[in-house]
Amino acid sequence: MTNLTRRTALTGGLLAMGGTALWTATRPARAQEQPLRPTIDEVMFDPANPVLGNPEGDVTIVEFFDYQCPYCKANHPVLNEVVEADDNVRLVMKDWPIFGAPSVRAAQLALGAASLGSYLTANDALMATEGRLDDALIEETLTKAGLDVAALDAAYGENRDKWDGLLTRNGAQAAAFQLRGTPAFIIGTVIYPGAMDKAGLENAIAMARG
Amino acid sequence: MTRTLSYPAALRRAIIAPLLVALSLALVTAAALAQGGDAFDRQSPPMDPREAFALAVEPQPDGSRLLRWDVAEGYYLYREYLAAETEDGRSLPLETAPGVTKDDPTFGTVEVYFYGTEARLGAAEGPVRVTYQGCQEDGICYPPVTDTLPAIGAAATWPAAGTEPAAVEGPAESTVSKGGITLANEGGLLDGLSARGGPFLVLAGFFGFGLLLAFTPCVFPMFPILAGLLAGQDGTVGARRGALLSGTYVLAMAAAFGLLGLIAAWSGQNLQVALQSPWAVGIVAGVFVALALSMFGLYEMRLPQAWTGRLSGIGAGRGGTLGGAAALGFTSALIMGPCVTAPLAGALLYIARTGDAWLGAGALFALGLGQGVPLLIAGTFGARMLPRAGAWMEGVKAAFGVVFLAMAIWLGGRLLPGPVTLALWAALLLGAGVFIGGLDRLEPGSGTAPRIRKTVGLAAILAAGIMGLGAATSAEDPMRPLAGLRPVEAAPGVADNEIAFTPVTSVPQLDAALAGSDGPSMIYVTADWCVTCKVIERRLWPDPMVREALAGTTLITADLSEFDAEGQALLDHLGSVGPPTMVFLDAEGREAPGSRLIGEPGVEEVVASARAIR
Repeated sequence: MTNLTRRTALTGGLLAMGGTALWTATRPARAQEQPLRPTIDEVMFDPANPVLGNPEGDVTIVEFFDYQCPYCKANHPVLNEVVEADDNVRLVMKDWPIFGAPSVRAAQLALGAASLGSYLTANDALMATEGRLDDALIEETLTKAGLDVAALDAAYGENRDKWDGLLTRNGAQAAAFQLRGTPAFIIGTVIYPGAMDKAGLENAIAMARG
Repeated sequence: MTRTLSYPAALRRAIIAPLLVALSLALVTAAALAQGGDAFDRQSPPMDPREAFALAVEPQPDGSRLLRWDVAEGYYLYREYLAAETEDGRSLPLETAPGVTKDDPTFGTVEVYFYGTEARLGAAEGPVRVTYQGCQEDGICYPPVTDTLPAIGAAATWPAAGTEPAAVEGPAESTVSKGGITLANEGGLLDGLSARGGPFLVLAGFFGFGLLLAFTPCVFPMFPILAGLLAGQDGTVGARRGALLSGTYVLAMAAAFGLLGLIAAWSGQNLQVALQSPWAVGIVAGVFVALALSMFGLYEMRLPQAWTGRLSGIGAGRGGTLGGAAALGFTSALIMGPCVTAPLAGALLYIARTGDAWLGAGALFALGLGQGVPLLIAGTFGARMLPRAGAWMEGVKAAFGVVFLAMAIWLGGRLLPGPVTLALWAALLLGAGVFIGGLDRLEPGSGTAPRIRKTVGLAAILAAGIMGLGAATSAEDPMRPLAGLRPVEAAPGVADNEIAFTPVTSVPQLDAALAGSDGPSMIYVTADWCVTCKVIERRLWPDPMVREALAGTTLITADLSEFDAEGQALLDHLGSVGPPTMVFLDAEGREAPGSRLIGEPGVEEVVASARAIR
C-alpha cells in the first residue's frame, strides 16, 4: 500500500473493471427472459376491461376491487365524485373477486352488461348495495336498476373466454404487484393500497400529471 | 427448540436488520411524499395477512386441534370465512365462537373478531388446510389465506407463533408457471420498489441502503484513508476544503458503483459470480489484514508520495488534490464491493432482467452516495476535530485493527477449513486479551479502569483458550467451540454424514430428476467456485436438525461449476441470481412462498423452509 502512485492506482482500478467487463462480455449471451412484471399497457389499457370516466383522459385510475368489499363500496362515491369533477381521468375498475362465489357472480353479470353497453349502470348499482351479497340480492339489485339478468347472463356466456381471461389477468396482475387486498389503486405508476379519501385521490392524480 | 446462531449468520442478521429498518423508512418517506406530504394522515400500510391474523395451533390429546388467531389492533377476521378441509377438499367441521356483530351501511350485518378468537377443529387424518379472511379496518380487505397444517404426529410441528414462514397457498401468493415447476412470485427488492413508487423510490431506497451500509465494518477502512487525505502535512484542513475533498471522494466512489451497474447491464451478466470467487474474497481478506497491521503500527500507511506532495499545494495545486481524492474514492469502491453483495446482486439482477441500465446504475450510484454521507460529514466537520496523536488515538487505532482482522477472518472462513478459522478466532481473541492488558500486573492501589481492563482482557484470553481447545477437537462454530467434545449422538457411521443429492447441470436434467419424485423436493444451486456454498455444505448438511427436516425430500443440486449457457438457462429457470440458492418445491412442484433461501442461511431457516413444503 505504501508505494502506490496515482498512476498505478488508476490503472489498476480501470484494469480491474475492464477485466471484469471483458470477462463477462466473453460469456455466452443470456437467454431472453419474459419480464415477470405486467406492463403499463397491460394494466391500464387491457382491451377487454370496460373504461369509465373520460376514456380519452390523460390520467388512468385503476382500482382492483370486489363487489363485496366494504371499503371499496364505501369509497366508491368519493372516487366517482373526483373522477367526475376532474373530467380528464380514465377509470378502470378491475374485478378481483376475493370474497367467494357471490363476488364472482356479480363480476360476471356486470361484465355481461358491458357487452350490452350498460356496464356503468350495473357497476353503480352493485357498488351501491349494502353489505354481503348473495345471488338473489345481486339479481334483485340489477333488475331494480332496469337490467335484464337473463340477458346479462347470456351476454356473459357468449364472451365467456374474453371475460374469464380478463378476470384471470386481473388476478395475475394483483399477484404480480403483490397487492395485499382490495381496494388497491394504481394512479399513474404509483400503487396505493387501501381506501383513499378525496384529497388523497386528487393529490395522486396531480402527481401522475407531473 | 434451542438453536445457536452460527457466527456469519448472526453477523449477517445484524447487518440485515438495520437495512430493513432503513428500507421501510425510505418507503414510508416516499409514500408520504406520494401523498402530498400529509405524512400524518396516512394510515399505516397494511400488514402481511399472516402477521395481522397470526395463527397458532395446539394439538389436543383427543386428536382435535385448537386453532388460535391473534388479531392485530385495527384488524378483524370474519367468522363466516373460517373454514377447514382435508388435503383432498373434504370440508371439516370447525366450531367457532360467536363474534362481535359489526353493522354499518356498507357492511351489512356480519360477525367479526377483533383482537382474536379460538376455534376447535375436530379430529382429522392427514394434513389439514385452514382458510381465514379478514380486513384492516377502514383500509383493505385481504383475499382468503390458506395454511396447511401438518398431520398430527408428523415429525414437523406447526410453529407456535404464526410469524414463521408456512406452507401456504392462496390467491394472494400467486405464482408464475415455468414449465414443470411453479416459482413463487416474489419479485426482487428493486421490482417491489419500482412497482410501488417508480424510479424515485428505487433511488431513495438504495440511498437508504447505502446509509446503513455506512455503519457496517465495510466502511471503516475508508475513515483512516480519508483522514490521511485530509490531514495533509500540517494536519489542518478547513471545513470547506474538507467538504470539497470528501465530496469528491464520495462522488468518485458512487461513480464506481454506478459504472459497475452499467458494465453489468451492457454485458448482460451478473457479477455475483465474480464477487464470490475465491480470488476476490482472498484479496479483500488480505487487504483487511494489511489495514489491520498498519493500525497496529507495523508500518505507517500513508498516501502515495505524489499525492501528499500535491496535497501540500506544491505544483499542481487544487486540481491535482481533487484528482487524488477522486482516484482514491474510485478504488475504495472496489475494496467495498464484496462487502455489499446483497444490494449489489439485487440491483444487478434487476438490470439484467429489465435492461434498464440507467435506473440500475442510478440505484448503485445512490447506494454509493448513501455510503458516503458519514464520510462527508466526517470530512467536513471532523477535519478540525481529528484527534491529535496520543495514547487515546493509539487505542482507537488498535480497536480498528482488531475489527479489520475479524473481517479478514470472517471472509477467510469461506476459504479455510472450519477448525482453522476457529483457531484464528482464538488467536485474535488471545492477542486482543493480551494487548488490552489481561496479563498485566495490577498494582495494589489500582483504580477501577485498570481492573476493568484486566477483567475484559482475561475474559478474552479465557474465551480464546476455549476456542483453541475447540479448534483442536475439530469444532467449527465460534459460538459452540466445544461441540466436538460432546459424545457423538448415535451416529451409525461416518458415511451417513453425507445426505444424498442428485446433481443436475441443465434444465432437461432437472425436469427428469423432478419427474422421478412424487414428494416435495429441494433444489440447491451450487458450484465448486462458490465459496459460501462450501460453508453451507460443511455446516448445514451434516446438521441433525436439517437432516431430519429434509428427510423424505428429494434433494437436487443444480451444479454450476461449468458455468455455460445451460447453466445460465438453469439459473433463469429457477429465477435465481446464482449460488448459493435453495428452492423448495412441494409435491405438486410449486415453490412455497417465502421459503426461498439465498446466501448462507442458518439451521432454523432451512428447517422452516423445509417444513413449508411438507
